[in-house]
Amino acid sequence: MSAAAIGSAELTALLPIVTLGTTAVVVLLWIAFRRNHAEAVWLTLGGLSATLLALAPAAGTGPRDVTGLLRIDGYALFFIALFCLAAIIVVLLARDYLRERAEQPEEFYLLLLTSLLGASVLAASTHFASFFLGLETLSISLFPLIAYATRDARALEAATKYLVLSGVASGFLLFGMALVYAETGSLAFGGTAPAATAVLQAGAVLILVGVGFKLSFFPFHLWTADVYQGAPAPVTALLATVSKGAVFAVLLRYGVDAPLARLPMSETVLGTLAGASMLIGNLAALAQHNLKRLLAYSSIAHMGYLLLAVIAMQRIGPALAAETLGFYLAAYTLTTLAAFGVMTAMSPADREAEEIGDYAGLFWTRPAIALLLTLSLLSLAGIPLTAGFIGKFYLFIAASHAALWPLLGLFVVGSGLGLYYYLRVIFRMAASVGEGTAPGPSGALQVSLGTEAALAFLGLSIAVLGLLPASLIDFLAAEALR
Amino acid sequence: MQGLLPLIPLCPLLGCLALIFGQGLMPRRAVPWVGAGSVGLAALLTGMVGGQFLGGSLEPVTVTLWTWLRSGELGPDFALYLDALSLSMLFIVTGVGFLIHVYSAGFMADDPGSARFFAYMNLFVAAMLILVLADNLVLLYLGWEGVGLCSYLLIGFWYQEPANGAAARKAFVTTRVGDTALALGLFLLFTELRTLDIQPLMEAALNHWTSGDPTASLAALLLLGGAVGKSAQLPLQTWLPDAMAGPTPISALIHAATMVTAGVYLIARMHSLFELAPDVLLLVAVVGSVTLLMAGFSALTQTDIKRILAYSTISQIGYMFLALGVGAWPAAVFHLMTHAYFKALLFLGAGAVIHSYHHEHDIFRMGGLRQRLPVAFWSFVFGSAALMALPFTSGYYSKHEILLAAYAGRGGAWLWAGGLFGAMLTGLYSARLLFVAFFGRANTHASEQLGLSMKLPLFVLCGLSLLGGFWVIPLASVFGETAVVPHPPDGIGLISTFAPLVGIAIAAAFYWQRLYSSDNLMASSLGQPLYRLWFSGWGFDWLYARAFVEPFKWFARINQRDGIDGVYRGIAALARAGHAQASAAQNGRLRWYVASLVSGAVLVVALGAWW
Repeated sequence: MSAAAIGSAELTALLPIVTLGTTAVVVLLWIAFRRNHAEAVWLTLGGLSATLLALAPAAGTGPRDVTGLLRIDGYALFFIALFCLAAIIVVLLARDYLRERAEQPEEFYLLLLTSLLGASVLAASTHFASFFLGLETLSISLFPLIAYATRDARALEAATKYLVLSGVASGFLLFGMALVYAETGSLAFGGTAPAATAVLQAGAVLILVGVGFKLSFFPFHLWTADVYQGAPAPVTALLATVSKGAVFAVLLRYGVDAPLARLPMSETVLGTLAGASMLIGNLAALAQHNLKRLLAYSSIAHMGYLLLAVIAMQRIGPALAAETLGFYLAAYTLTTLAAFGVMTAMSPADREAEEIGDYAGLFWTRPAIALLLTLSLLSLAGIPLTAGFIGKFYLFIAASHAALWPLLGLFVVGSGLGLYYYLRVIFRMAASVGEGTAPGPSGALQVSLGTEAALAFLGLSIAVLGLLPASLIDFLAAEALR
Repeated sequence: MQGLLPLIPLCPLLGCLALIFGQGLMPRRAVPWVGAGSVGLAALLTGMVGGQFLGGSLEPVTVTLWTWLRSGELGPDFALYLDALSLSMLFIVTGVGFLIHVYSAGFMADDPGSARFFAYMNLFVAAMLILVLADNLVLLYLGWEGVGLCSYLLIGFWYQEPANGAAARKAFVTTRVGDTALALGLFLLFTELRTLDIQPLMEAALNHWTSGDPTASLAALLLLGGAVGKSAQLPLQTWLPDAMAGPTPISALIHAATMVTAGVYLIARMHSLFELAPDVLLLVAVVGSVTLLMAGFSALTQTDIKRILAYSTISQIGYMFLALGVGAWPAAVFHLMTHAYFKALLFLGAGAVIHSYHHEHDIFRMGGLRQRLPVAFWSFVFGSAALMALPFTSGYYSKHEILLAAYAGRGGAWLWAGGLFGAMLTGLYSARLLFVAFFGRANTHASEQLGLSMKLPLFVLCGLSLLGGFWVIPLASVFGETAVVPHPPDGIGLISTFAPLVGIAIAAAFYWQRLYSSDNLMASSLGQPLYRLWFSGWGFDWLYARAFVEPFKWFARINQRDGIDGVYRGIAALARAGHAQASAAQNGRLRWYVASLVSGAVLVVALGAWW
């Protein structure tokens, strides 16, 4: 590791991350002096927009290693942009959500910004140190976010569970890193060892255990449903999109950079995790009545699908794998945000609209919202003309190029199972009004213009990515990991 | 002119759409105006296009509208092709179709579903126009299936009656057998010749295959399968007599202007291919002759006025197939045209009888209608005269040409003799219908109450049945000059001319003068089984029921608890069991979760080490 000097070009490359950090500090100071919900929201939105703007100069410096810990390239910047976009939407949703529920909503945005900072560092990380720091920044910000609405005992329970289990998983991760360091003598991903000893292998596998927990692969998935259910809907959205996406981004880069990820046993381990997650996630979701838990289980399955891209990477090359991952994660992020956005917009002040029964007859009472949720569920199921279909198609191509036939078989089986429970929700929404108890517009939260705009944007982008995927594909192909 | 051509199928299509979407909005009085008007407009456009075409050099015109679909080498355009053959069909479909629509305005005036009726009729005409104008076989197939769909909708038009639904299903399923053969034929042609555009396809066939090539024969055979289905020829003729379940104008449309002529048109259109397969061509002629005889015998025994006409249609289409089979292409198209005139006239006349006579169909309960229903009577006289091919009527010229061609053709005297006997039968059953229904004692009350919209088409069709034989579009530009038939000896022509008169004389002896009693004949030991056989249409329905329908039903019954369903039920049960297992792990206990995490880690490390 060369202690590279930081010049102006490096600073420019770091600009998005620096902007995020600065925004967090500014928001922290601002709320220390003035508690005002609207101001905190606007400051956060301003900082996130500034981060998005800072991406352009950063991209201009080209792929660049900064300090040996981070590499700012098109791949990292794409994910940072995706996370910022997701965060903007979460802010808009949370503003409505917290208005009635939290006495002091301002710190929510501070924590959101620090979690985003951790996610951005993860997306750019090429070193175990930045990997671990990014992951912990992300996770530690998430614990209080999950428990933010403290009136709800379940939120506290979820945060506690996530805290304890995260701690255990981080222990595995750190121990794995230590073992790898012991063999290679380097903390950079690219460190090499003279021989594939048992210690090195154990280290590599333990790192995968830590990552697997965050991505909720089977058998490390048990926390997912409880935490998804307990957390406030906007936080669940963040957890499901930014947190998962950031860990996947670093996993792929680790897979590309690190020779020890290319050990044959890594493929076996990852393949087992992927196949089991697809199957168990979909099976657990089958008869689920709670939409949040349903989405949690479906996310287990989706993470299993997505792991195909990482496994296939060794045979199809990093460029196509990164393209696949980028598109799938973008589609998954937009789609999941839309689903949780609908849930937020549907929730009355005293509880959340998390039961499927809450959505019965929604087509007749709130057709626009029902349409968006339908679109989102169809996209999750991978029905053509939605973004999710293109993502699945990409994965299918990648996996078949890599000849991962047994996993492809499970992919198909899982998608078939998935269709059942996604369609079940849609059928419920189309049921006539008398058949269920819909909370109706009266009980639901007052939806602000910001939420409406965010939801409209999500619906539109799911459809546009499904109809004209070339716009994003061209960008990804140009910027993909090399 | 080229600009007008696409409007011809578009007019009835728009009429159909207007009727469908205007349901409830459109005043009742406007419905027949839209329905008949759209077809009238198409007929007017056909007149303009046809006038210009016939005034020119008769060179074929292709109008490409857009590329329909593109997939590899297959790229059928939405293109229309106009030559003398398709123009002849255009005149028949729009002209006769228009008259039938005008008639329907009166016939269906009191029916509550008249908007639906005209919508289907318009769609029917539009589909048939696409069929005859199609430049490629894929587009032709679109029209072909459209015609099939509309026939289903119209035969089952009075759907409250289960029998009508059954008749519609029968027509649909039976023609579907032929359609499948046609589709296979298209697949084969495309695999072999890499195109489905008709003109390049014919050129490619001529370049690619020599006469008698087995592949060419197979392709021709498959197309013939489609043609016999649509045109109700042996062995797929059983649907047509039952298709009488619909309102009478529909029968006129199916029998005269549209549906059943499609098979004849297909073979004429693909004649170059059939010429490459002489054996199949001979088969066409044999199918035609056998069908025309069998249907003639069946027509002799029927008592339902519409069923008699239905069997006569099968028989007359048999003549067209005979003509096609001996290579007398223009004669087949000519007979198609004259048949359209007189069969439309006969059906509309039958409709007038039924309309005026409390929906009575049995000719033996009619009798003496000559005075009471003069318009219907004269319609039947003119129509039957043309059907029997009495000299100087339109039918005479076309049928005469067919018989002469048959004599000169490859099958020789046998085919001619068959056709001749058929002509005698035609005279017999037509005269029988005429004598029984319109002569003799008047035994029931009936009064003719026909509006102008019903009378006018009858008058026009009377004129066409009589004089339509003098006006024919020259088809040499399509079939080549060689298709002109050499003339056989004069005696043959004379015998052909007099054959129907023999039939009329027999009918007069039995049913007019009543010198002999047909009842005695039917009661005789030979007559009774023959009568039953012919009355049931040679027992084909019985045969098909035994051979196909009942085994299928039996299989469906024993397979009620479908073994294959068990697989799906098993999958569902498996998924449910898996769900139960997966949810059982979610007990919410933190210590259990940690234990799972740690033991999972141990397992994964073990897996990594063991590998």
